[in-house]
Amino acid sequence: MDRLRQNLKKGLVVLLGAFVLLAAYYCYVLFFYGDRWFANSYNPRVRLDAWEPKVIPGDIKDRKGQTLATTAKENRRNPDTNEKQVFYYRSYSEGKQRAKSLAHVVGYNDPQFGRSGVEALQIRYLLGYNNPFYERIYQKIFMTREVGNTLYLTIDADLQQYADDILGKHKGSVVVMDFRTGEILAMVSHPTFNPNKLGEDIAGDALVSRATEGLYAPGSIFKIIVAASALENLENVLEETFDCRGTIEIGTQNISCYGGEAHGQVDLVQAMTLSCNGDFARLGVEVGRAKLLKTGEAFGFNQDFIFPDLKLVASRLPLKPGISNERLALSSIGQGEVQVTPLHMAMVASAVANRGIMMEPKIVYQVVGRNDKAQKEIEPRVYRKTMSEETSQIIHDMMKDVVTHGTGKAAGIKGKQVAGKTGTAEIMDEDSGTRNNAWFIGFVSDDKSNVSIALVLEDMSPGQTGGKAAAPLAGRILKKAVDLGY
Amino acid sequence: MRSIAFVYLSKYWVRIDIKGTNLGKGSGIMPDKNYEILALTMRYWFIGLIIFVVARIILETMGTKKGQNYRNEGPFGHIIFFMVVFLISAFALLAYKGSGVYDIYTAILGLVVGISLILQYNLFRLIFPYSDRLLLIVVDLLAIFGFIMLYRFSPELGVNQIKHFAYGNLGMLFFIFFTKRIRVGRKLGYTIMMVGCILLLLPIVLGKEVYGARNWVSIMGLSFQPSEFVKIILVFVFASWFKHDGGFREHLPAFIFAAISVILVVLQKDLGAALLYFYVFLFVYYMASSDWIITTLALGAAALGSVISYRLFSHVRIRIEAWKNPWRDIENKGYQIAHSLIAISSGGLIGTGLGLGSPQVVPAFKTDFIFATLCEEFGIITGLCIIGLYAIIVLRGVTIAMRSQESYWSLLAFGATVALSMQAFTIIGGVIKMIPLTGVTMPFVSFGGSSMVSSLALIGVLEGVAITVPSLDEDMVDQTHETDGEGDYEEWID
Repeated sequence: MDRLRQNLKKGLVVLLGAFVLLAAYYCYVLFFYGDRWFANSYNPRVRLDAWEPKVIPGDIKDRKGQTLATTAKENRRNPDTNEKQVFYYRSYSEGKQRAKSLAHVVGYNDPQFGRSGVEALQIRYLLGYNNPFYERIYQKIFMTREVGNTLYLTIDADLQQYADDILGKHKGSVVVMDFRTGEILAMVSHPTFNPNKLGEDIAGDALVSRATEGLYAPGSIFKIIVAASALENLENVLEETFDCRGTIEIGTQNISCYGGEAHGQVDLVQAMTLSCNGDFARLGVEVGRAKLLKTGEAFGFNQDFIFPDLKLVASRLPLKPGISNERLALSSIGQGEVQVTPLHMAMVASAVANRGIMMEPKIVYQVVGRNDKAQKEIEPRVYRKTMSEETSQIIHDMMKDVVTHGTGKAAGIKGKQVAGKTGTAEIMDEDSGTRNNAWFIGFVSDDKSNVSIALVLEDMSPGQTGGKAAAPLAGRILKKAVDLGY
Repeated sequence: MRSIAFVYLSKYWVRIDIKGTNLGKGSGIMPDKNYEILALTMRYWFIGLIIFVVARIILETMGTKKGQNYRNEGPFGHIIFFMVVFLISAFALLAYKGSGVYDIYTAILGLVVGISLILQYNLFRLIFPYSDRLLLIVVDLLAIFGFIMLYRFSPELGVNQIKHFAYGNLGMLFFIFFTKRIRVGRKLGYTIMMVGCILLLLPIVLGKEVYGARNWVSIMGLSFQPSEFVKIILVFVFASWFKHDGGFREHLPAFIFAAISVILVVLQKDLGAALLYFYVFLFVYYMASSDWIITTLALGAAALGSVISYRLFSHVRIRIEAWKNPWRDIENKGYQIAHSLIAISSGGLIGTGLGLGSPQVVPAFKTDFIFATLCEEFGIITGLCIIGLYAIIVLRGVTIAMRSQESYWSLLAFGATVALSMQAFTIIGGVIKMIPLTGVTMPFVSFGGSSMVSSLALIGVLEGVAITVPSLDEDMVDQTHETDGEGDYEEWID
């Protein structure tokens, strides 16, 4: 009987433990994921009711107050009752070009097509679910229809449209951020669609928000992470030199520099400036899988990004134990199975500019209630510390060199020091042979400006490298941002 | 005095209603603005009551001194009173829902049920002064949540559930006396094993498929779920066979019965029940024997069984996939869990307000997923409180087992506790996506007669064990021999 009592105590611990676990999981998961679940476009509770909406969704405006989305109404014949009735619908920025440039960021809210973008994720503000009790009661008593709150985004619609213009007919994406606060100033994905005409034929991949959902091989821009890992883990790495003969053999894998060009004797700074694949393949193997993975994770790779403002697909750095040196080398130059989103790369560039501190990306600038009363203001938050300040300073200087006399010259703007890194990832395509993803990530290295950028052009022909195709476009967008005062 | 106040309140509402306009009846009509305002306001009242009652229950449980007699606990009158206030005010609010007409029947029903609960509690206290009354209070509170939610879905469901609760109380009474008076020895043991097997064969022979499982039988207009009742038989069989340190050969009949029951419910595709039987076996057997070898073997068998069923049954694979990522195939496989999670997150801390949520969107909202709809309308805090209430059942159940002087009663009480708590854990864990979803009901809350009666029967077992303790304390010799109901009972000597 005594033994039984002892066992019963164990049993009690196990059973109670199960319930403690249950309660802990319940709280954890609701705290971190609750808002996302609620904002899911399959949640019928927040569906826009065209004929009898209980709440009229609020406006979406950019940081300067230009209206990006509003609820419009007109008289239409209701097919159910066959009577003329007021029809409510969401209407997006005037001007096809502007509406299209903002389509992925603002998203859409349509009874038939569902919700996406800010329209989906911030629906609780737009429908006034965050209103205090007395405000809800007041609206129910005194107003025929309740109204939602106005949402101000961190987006600058002018910069957004400019970036959209610059991208032109290319497929790809641009993200412009304020690296000190994490505010997203522009976020364009191409191809795009017209949110005012969802019924029209929309190409299959036009609905994909490439900036946050598009996974690309990063190519040479991943060298920033390898360099950070080498600087933090290897001694005297800055003094070492490497003899680049245009190609290097790692195991059975031949890794060659772009165009097979031999860079000769290079140190780390020169290797970065010239984007020498051989040196970085060697460095990646030397640093080793575990440490490279650790640095990668410090930069946000393999992390489930849980940001309150936007959904961001996790970037992949699959360095599993037992990985071969060949594949490790390939990963170190951003090829192989490494995959990143443009927004994440903008965050990486921002982290370098912001002394190693990566800020949480923000898109909601302000929520303003019915009486122009601010209910929520943006609060910049540190997402994670990616590297030491010294490391970030060294990489910062390297990235300046890349733009002053390296592969990224085309990104330079007059009177401002730009820092950046180009990247060209080769994609084997069965139909069209080798295609390039051309990358540029960087920032304005200046006390007055806080802009960083990530730009990717996909499906480029072989000659169109990051330095040739992406860098000039990025430079023009950065110049516009500087002109606009960011 | 208080009831008069509420009748008066009802009259007042009726008067309001006469002035108001009749918007016409029909469930399709959205709740009108007045109701919305009322429900929004009353959220605070409800959450206050819930927190107060649950906090009192937890504090009373924490405050119990070791070795304290259950009779000396309390008083708990105020707890049951505030629970009833919660019930009555919720029904008073529901009476106003749906149309402009104040439905006096609903309000009166709330009042009647409330008074009946007070009566039930006090009668129970009088008849069984040594019973664990706080346990009954917890059960009543969980049942009240069920009544309110089900009545809010449709009055018919609510009334039926109240009936189930009444039958369940009879079942509980029966099992209190059964546990106290009759010991299950070998003869009775084999008989109930036979009954159990026949019960489990019924649905395979006569049953019809509901939600992919074939675990219901309908005999003479009475449909029930045999697997719910076999749970009770298992608890008795295990207690009876494992009370001695008998070694493998002596325990064998119980092993075989456990294996047969699990196989039979798996054949019915009722994986929830299979899992539950397994938990009960595992816990009770280990408690009794401290036998690592068989426990590990059983765990291994269960692991193998789950792998095989994963390979064999497509519905198991679908469950696992839906658990891993319900959002990927939200329109088919992930539908249930995704909508459950959306519902839970739609209420916020204190809920949307009673009647203002959209429970109809969640599949099986009145049975398996009632937790999700409760969270939506009463809030995340209430969900936490409900998890806490089940934890209190664990705490008090195991305490009853530990206080008991004999291993038979100890194991009986522990088995009943495991059956109830693991069932709650399985379904809540499944609904919040912590573990793969297996369809079991949420004890005392979910709609269903079989579930309610069997859960209350298990509470009857617990209370039956609880009331044997003081009689043993006071005059040990007389009572132990009196309760000897079966011939082959042997005195257990520690």
